[in-house]
Amino acid sequence: MTDREPGGERLLAGPADDEYLLAALRIAAGVDPVPERVGADARAAYELRLPGAILAGPLEPLPGLVADARPLAGVRSDGRPAGDEPRLLRFGADGLTIDVEVTVRDSHLDLAGQVHPLPVGGARVEIRTPHISKIRFPTESGLFATTGLPHGWLSVVCHRPGDRPVATRWQCIRQ
Amino acid sequence: MPYDLDLLDETAWRGLVDRFGFRMWAVARACGLDATDAADAVQAAWLRLVEKLDTIRDPEAVGAWLVTTTRHEAGRIRRKRAGHQLTGLVPDLPTTEGDPVARMLSEEDGRRLWAAIDTLHEPCRTLLRLIVTLPEVTYAQLAHRMRMPIGSIGPTRMRCLRRVRSLMGEEPR
Repeated sequence: MTDREPGGERLLAGPADDEYLLAALRIAAGVDPVPERVGADARAAYELRLPGAILAGPLEPLPGLVADARPLAGVRSDGRPAGDEPRLLRFGADGLTIDVEVTVRDSHLDLAGQVHPLPVGGARVEIRTPHISKIRFPTESGLFATTGLPHGWLSVVCHRPGDRPVATRWQCIRQ
Repeated sequence: MPYDLDLLDETAWRGLVDRFGFRMWAVARACGLDATDAADAVQAAWLRLVEKLDTIRDPEAVGAWLVTTTRHEAGRIRRKRAGHQLTGLVPDLPTTEGDPVARMLSEEDGRRLWAAIDTLHEPCRTLLRLIVTLPEVTYAQLAHRMRMPIGSIGPTRMRCLRRVRSLMGEEPR
């Protein structure tokens, strides 16, 4: 191996030492190889690049302003779900807000959302997972929805005419 | 080998996966995650890199950053599993540089550590061997196997790891 850095004698001197120490022992022991699926997903992640996109970071979700504005019983004031209620996420960047409501079903995820303000000239919303992508054209109110998404990672991208797309950070949604 | 992320092509990306993927996996597992959660922690780090590609200014640090990000994500998943309330679904990202020690997960380091463990007295030698070779072993299982009270596993583990660090030439914390 060639990764010892200058100052490498400082091995195991930081706050996360125990975890790195155990990891180094595991690597040397060869007892827990990386599952093929994990490596394949890592390689496939390269295809998820979105050059030029503006990354939308998380904002505090505001219950009642999301998706089709239907009652969101059971959602607490901090936006976190109670029980199996939908999970509310809000992202924002470049003057655009993307609200996302994810309902976790046994076999899949349902997703509804809203972009606002709706970009001039319309917009195209892309709901991405590592393996599938769905395109939706939001209503005049900016609403969009889809169903049948697999559990796991997802990101919502708002493609704007003549402007850079805005992409939410990837989120992992599981039961 | 430096990576020019402005020109990061698929071959270079695969190189990163080959070079750091097994370290990321080992760190996630060392954080106590099962295989499903460890896979999520590792994939989270790769997706964070996808999100950040435009902003990375120090390609030399990408490997350490990936490993450190995996540890952050693994810690967050572990806290969630333990029932902790988390603020939002997005974790804080580590600094661009990553943990310095994250660069040093080499096979050579592992061999030195195993050599140090071989010099330990019991129960440290057996306890650490079990923890390393049985990634999902519980404290209850360790207590049964070691014939120790379950409440002493954690402190003993900490003491044994401190001893290993001492043998590696570091002052115990």
